[in-house]
Amino acid sequence: MLRSRVIPCLLVHNKGLVKTVKFKDPKYVGDPINAVKIFNEKEVDELIVLDIDSSVNGNEPNYQMIEHLANESRMPLCYGGGIKTAEQAQRIIKLGVEKIAISSEAILNPAILIEIADIIGRQSVVVVLDVKKSLFGSYDIYINNGKKKIKKNLFEFISELESIGIGELVINSIDNDGVMKGYDLSLIEKVRDRVNVPLTVLGGAGTSDDILNLIEKYKIIGASAGSLFVFKGIYKAVLINYLPELALNKIRKISKI
Amino acid sequence: MIGIIDYGSGNIQAIKNIYKKLKVECKFVSQPEQLNGVNKIILPGVGAFDEAMSQLNKSGMREVLDLMVIDKQVPVLGVCVGMQIMASSSDEGKLDGLGWFDAKVKLFDENTIKHKPKLPHMGWNEIQVKSEHSILNLIDKEKGFYFLHSFYFQCNDKNDVLAEAYYGDIFHCAINKKNIFGFQFHPEKSHSNGIKLFKNFAEL
Amino acid sequence: MTILKSTICTNCVMDTTDSKIVFDKKGVCDHCNTYFSDILTKWNPEGINDSDLMILADKIKKEGEGKDFDCIIGMSGGIDSSYLLYLAKEKLGLRPLVFHVDAGWNSQEAVHNIERLVDGLDLDLYTEVINWEEMKDLQLSFFKSGVSHIDTPQDHSFFATMYQFAEKHGVKNILTGGNYSTECIRNPLEWMYFQSDSRQLRDIHKQFGSNPLNQYPITNILWHKVYLPYVKGIKLIRPLDYMVYNKEEATQLLEQKFGYQRYPQKHFESRFTRFYESYWLPEKFGFDTRKVQYSSLILTGQMTREEALEKLRSPAYDPETIDEDFEYIANKLGITIGELQSYFDAPNKTYKDYKNQQSLYDVGAKVLRAIGLEKGGKR
Repeated sequence: MLRSRVIPCLLVHNKGLVKTVKFKDPKYVGDPINAVKIFNEKEVDELIVLDIDSSVNGNEPNYQMIEHLANESRMPLCYGGGIKTAEQAQRIIKLGVEKIAISSEAILNPAILIEIADIIGRQSVVVVLDVKKSLFGSYDIYINNGKKKIKKNLFEFISELESIGIGELVINSIDNDGVMKGYDLSLIEKVRDRVNVPLTVLGGAGTSDDILNLIEKYKIIGASAGSLFVFKGIYKAVLINYLPELALNKIRKISKI
Repeated sequence: MIGIIDYGSGNIQAIKNIYKKLKVECKFVSQPEQLNGVNKIILPGVGAFDEAMSQLNKSGMREVLDLMVIDKQVPVLGVCVGMQIMASSSDEGKLDGLGWFDAKVKLFDENTIKHKPKLPHMGWNEIQVKSEHSILNLIDKEKGFYFLHSFYFQCNDKNDVLAEAYYGDIFHCAINKKNIFGFQFHPEKSHSNGIKLFKNFAEL
Repeated sequence: MTILKSTICTNCVMDTTDSKIVFDKKGVCDHCNTYFSDILTKWNPEGINDSDLMILADKIKKEGEGKDFDCIIGMSGGIDSSYLLYLAKEKLGLRPLVFHVDAGWNSQEAVHNIERLVDGLDLDLYTEVINWEEMKDLQLSFFKSGVSHIDTPQDHSFFATMYQFAEKHGVKNILTGGNYSTECIRNPLEWMYFQSDSRQLRDIHKQFGSNPLNQYPITNILWHKVYLPYVKGIKLIRPLDYMVYNKEEATQLLEQKFGYQRYPQKHFESRFTRFYESYWLPEKFGFDTRKVQYSSLILTGQMTREEALEKLRSPAYDPETIDEDFEYIANKLGITIGELQSYFDAPNKTYKDYKNQQSLYDVGAKVLRAIGLEKGGKR
């Protein structure tokens, strides 16, 4: 039976890997190529790599780095960061990347999703929504790496995306980013019902139990995490890791039900 | 020399990377002349059935491929949509497939899938081997492969089925008839299982 | 390949690729003789008793009382440092902080092994990540300089960060897995010059580097060999010297208890070091570090000379993967395979071609040996 995917998410900033907390204070974590290589050797399900600078400074994607990352990946790789045009998307896909992630541009100009899907196929188009709780308890969508709030209703926009047609939706909680105290379960509960395309959640996972509980509850869902797979222990020592064997076996068991 | 058909569909770079690491000679083939000296073929593919078929027809390689595969019995391995176009037709599109298999491509019945998201079938899934073949040697079946598709292959001749997978219902995920192989999943994105599969194919 | 009898030591497997080697009348080299005369007189691989080790442990515990940890242990993921962790926690009852330096070249096995040991022993881990852009630039400088000790950027950073951390947090005891049992013979200076010579490092960087070294940690020999131990009381301790350390037994224990994954050769925790020691050093310079490692094992009875000679018949690198490794190294350093090859083909230089503090090391070594604080040592 189909298993839920557990997906390490890496952030690239100034050519290096970083980890943020609530989208702030990027802490240097090392070289992206070596990290991807190690994740590949650990045979992770899938990998997301996001360049957090490009949407802000408007730079072209770093195609050379992307090519190196794709060379090291024998699992699906999703790359995002400042993608605005179908040409950029196609170029990235041709380098051996499976999916492209698009956030700011998808929100400002949703029509681009159709254009991109036409060229690379809908299954390869992933939309990432960075969300933060507002004062009133609802959720706001942000672009440009969490810097600018957008006046759109989250759930209406999700419906809009579904009618346009996308391959996957990633909901990224800015509030829980890097905090490692668990996913925003109420957000997931609200979103899950309204989403018919594959859903992946990101932001807050602190232990493998956070991921197991998520999968146990929703059966098929993408569980993504950054800090959990990059840090270890109370001093947050940088050490690339993945789920322990025991947890992976539990996920296999869940999928058999 | 393994020829990876480059007709604008599929992750050809990933396949090349694997063969490069295995030190097996391979090259991209985008024109019929380039098929000279090729003794095994890989036919990748992603996206829509009609899109892939029309691109293949436009590439000018259709006739040579039919000749090499059907007449000369050159081993060929189809991946994902590359496998689907080997059928005679698909629910997804209007064009005829290559017709190398007596089979149809059908849309998954959403009613059989209990949970959301129903489609596409995306992620790692195990396979059940129906017919022994060296191409599946040393594969960890429980670990399985990475799938990403909304349509599935349905063989009319059960002898053509190499392996099955389960998504809502059982479907044919690996097929084989003489020199022709097809895999619904993505071996180029399935870690060691995929590498083994490509290696086994090269060693046929 | 035939090995001429007169060029290789009759006791170990060091030979004239070490250009300074000297043989006595029996054909035994000076490395062996130094071991017999210098090291064995002060360190007994068989007569060590537990009480010395426990006295050491008690001292460390006492000095660390009331602190979050009583010592830091430099951990690369290699066998020596991994076994040391086990020894420190399980046998000596210490409370170490595991200290790991990530220079960007960690192999998957190293990361796996560190995780297994840290989890299995329930220890705390601290990682210092070296800025990769600066490390890359420094490593390229060393390649361009033509010297043989191109692993200096990694080695230097390991010790520099560890010392800096110890000083910052007032940790008195740094434990390392260095040991006479497997390292009584050291790499000749001609092969691997002192990695701690900051003068050499700065000069090579000045001549060939492109970016300033802002975050890269730099130490110097006076600071960590004189100031830190004698003024701040920060000591480097090698507990493995206090016991009978057998590498194979240690490896098996780690495999059984922690699911440790073996490496094909010493120092293969880092992909760069693996490339450097198995390919670059032997193929470009003719310096095969296996000879040093095997000779140490021969002297301490953990390998026979015949076994060593047999292993040395095949190349140190794996012919199956070398092209791939070469490409990986080039890609990671951001250069083409052709450029890396050009450094390989360029003339060989030595540490003497650049500024260095060797005279300081010579004086220091003489003093330390004279007062019995160091045995054997590099030459």
